[in-house]
Amino acid sequence: MKQLRNHANSAAALLIAVLFALLLRDPVWIDVAVVIGIQALIALSVGLSFGQAGLLSLAQAPFAAIGAYATGIISVHYGGSPLAGLAGAIMLPALLGYLLARLVIRLEPLAVALATLSLAAIVEVVIRSWDSVTGGYVGLSGISPLAWAASPREYFWLVLLVIVIVIALYENLLASRFGRALNTLRHDRARAMADGVPVVAVSSAAFGLSAAFAGVAGWLYAHYVSYVGPGDLGTHLSISVVLMAVIGGASYVLGPVVGAIVLGVLMRMLPAQELQGLFYGGTLILILLVARDGLLGIAEPWFARALRAIVPQPARVAPEDERRT
Amino acid sequence: MSKGLQAIGMHKRFGGVHALDDAAISVEPGRVTGLIGRNGSGKTTLFNCITGFIVPDSGSVTVDGRDITGAGPQTIVKAGLSRTFQTPREDARSTVRDAVLCGCYVQSSASFLGALTGLPGARREERRIGLRADALLERFGLAAQAEAPVGTLSMGLVRLVEVARAIASGARYLLLDEPAAGLSAAEQDILSAQIRALASSGVGVLLVEHNFSLVLSMCDRITVLEFGKVLSEGAPEQVARDPGVIEAYLGAIERGDTGSTQ
Ligand SMILES: Nc1ncnc2c1ncn2[C@@H]1O[C@H](COP(=O)(O)OP(=O)(O)OP(=O)(O)O)[C@@H](O)[C@H]1O
Ligand SMILES: [Mg+2]
Repeated sequence: MKQLRNHANSAAALLIAVLFALLLRDPVWIDVAVVIGIQALIALSVGLSFGQAGLLSLAQAPFAAIGAYATGIISVHYGGSPLAGLAGAIMLPALLGYLLARLVIRLEPLAVALATLSLAAIVEVVIRSWDSVTGGYVGLSGISPLAWAASPREYFWLVLLVIVIVIALYENLLASRFGRALNTLRHDRARAMADGVPVVAVSSAAFGLSAAFAGVAGWLYAHYVSYVGPGDLGTHLSISVVLMAVIGGASYVLGPVVGAIVLGVLMRMLPAQELQGLFYGGTLILILLVARDGLLGIAEPWFARALRAIVPQPARVAPEDERRT
Repeated sequence: MSKGLQAIGMHKRFGGVHALDDAAISVEPGRVTGLIGRNGSGKTTLFNCITGFIVPDSGSVTVDGRDITGAGPQTIVKAGLSRTFQTPREDARSTVRDAVLCGCYVQSSASFLGALTGLPGARREERRIGLRADALLERFGLAAQAEAPVGTLSMGLVRLVEVARAIASGARYLLLDEPAAGLSAAEQDILSAQIRALASSGVGVLLVEHNFSLVLSMCDRITVLEFGKVLSEGAPEQVARDPGVIEAYLGAIERGDTGSTQ
C-alpha cells in the first residue's frame, strides 16, 4: 500500500506511456514523441534540481550534451557498446554536476544559476575546440544505433521505459530522508541544518543526480539521431526545459513531463519558428501570473475532488501523492 | 568525563556589538534550565554559538565531556543537541508527519544510492523512522493532525511540532528558543507539561522564555544574561531574590519592556 502511494506518479506515467505507445501510429508523430520524450527527461532533471532542491540550473542541456558526447566518443572512437556509453553518459555528468555544486552551493541562488551558465559556456567551448575527440564544429557522426530498438516505434517504447524508470527512482528519492531534506533546504537552509542535514553534501548529490538524468537523455538523443553536434543541446534547450518544468509544475514529479508534452505539441502547431520565443515568453509570464505552481498546481484541487468522488472513504491516499511527492 | 552540556567563556562580537561577553551556561540531563534576559542580551546568540550556527570568537562547548566547539550543526545534532528557532521556520505546506520525519534525518542510515534505488535496507530504515515519527506524534498529541499541513495549525500546535521535530533526532539536550511566545495560557500549559515530561525522561532542556512566572514554575536552574554577561545563576527562588536581577530584569518587566521581537 505504502509502495503504491509512493509510486502513484510512475504508475500514472506507465499508464499514459502504454496508452501513447498503443495509440500513436503516425510516423511523423512518433518522431515528434521521441524528441518530446527526450526533452521531458531533461525537464525532469530540472524538476529534481529546481523543483525539489531549489537550485536553478541553466546547464541541464550541456549535461545532456556531455552524455551524448560520452556515448558518441565511446561508440565512434573506441567501438564501445551503447551500454558502456550509457555508463559514461550517467557518470560523467553526475561527477561534473556534483563537483560544480560542491563549489557553488554555498552561494546565493542567483550566483548558483550564473555558475551553471558559465559551466554551459565552458562545455560549449570544449566541444567546439577539441576537434580530435568531439569532432569540433562538424560533430560526431556514425554513432551506432541500438540493435534492440531499431525502428522509431521501438525507440519510442525505449524512451517511455526510461522515463518511467527515472520517475520511479525520483519518487524513491523523494520518499526518503534525502527527498524531505531537499524540500526543507529549498524552503529554508537553516531549518535543514537544525535537522542535522549536511546541506552541501545532500544538495550536491541531488544536483549530480539531476545531471545524470540529463545525461541519460543525451544518450537517448545520440543513439536516436546517430549524430551529435555542438549546436544540438545548447543553452536554448536549457531555457526551454526550465520553462517546461515551471509551466507543468516544477515541484510536482510529473509537472515537467506535462510541461514538455503541452509545450512540445503546441510548438508543432505554431505556424512560424519566429513565434516560438514570443510564445515561450508569453506562456511563462501567464503561468507565473495565474498559477505559480504550474498546470498541475491548477489541476490538483480539481483532481483531489474528482478522486474523493470516486473513492469516498480513504480520501487521502492519492491527492497527497500528487502534492510534492 | 562530566555529564551535561557546558558552555564557558563564550565571546561573540558583531561589529561594535559585544553580543556575548564571557557568557556561560550549564545544562544537566533531566533538568530544565531557564535562560532569561532582556531583548538583545545575547540569548539567541548563545544558542547559535552552542548549536554551531555561528562560530564563537572564543569559548568552549562540551556535551557529556566531548568538545564540540566550532563544529557544524550537523555534527552537533549527531552529538545529541537539537534546537528550535525563536521564529518558527516550518514549511507551511509540509504535513505535520513529514515535519517530524524531517527531524528524524540523523536517525536513518539510508544511503543516497540505497534510497534512490529503493534497496531493502533503505526501505527498512524508512519504515523504522516512520514508526518513530508516529510514536512522537502520539506522544505530543498530534496524531489527529498527522496529515494536516503545518500552515493550518494553531501556533500552540506549531510549537509542539517544533519540539517533536527537535527531539526526533534522538537529542539528549534540547535548546528551545522562546517556545511559549505568543501562546494562550491553555497552550502554554500543554507545552510546559510536554517539556517537563521530556525532562523527566532524562532530556536536558535549555529554555529561553520571557514570562518570568512560567520560568519560575518550570525550571530547576536559571541563568540570567545581561549585555552578554551572566548576571546571575542559581535555583529559581535564589535568582528571583537577587537584587541585581530585580533591578535589571524584573524592573524591566514592570515597565513592560519584555515583548519579544525578531
Ligand atoms: N547576526 C547578527 N549580526 C549583527 N548583530 C547581531 C546579530 N545577531 C545578534 N546581533 C546583536 O547581538 C545582540 C544580542 O542579540 P540576541 O538575538 O542574541 O538577543 P536575545 O537575547 O536573543 O534577544 P531577544 O529577547 O530579542 O530574542 C543584539 O544587540 C543584536 O542586535
Ligand atoms: Mg532571541
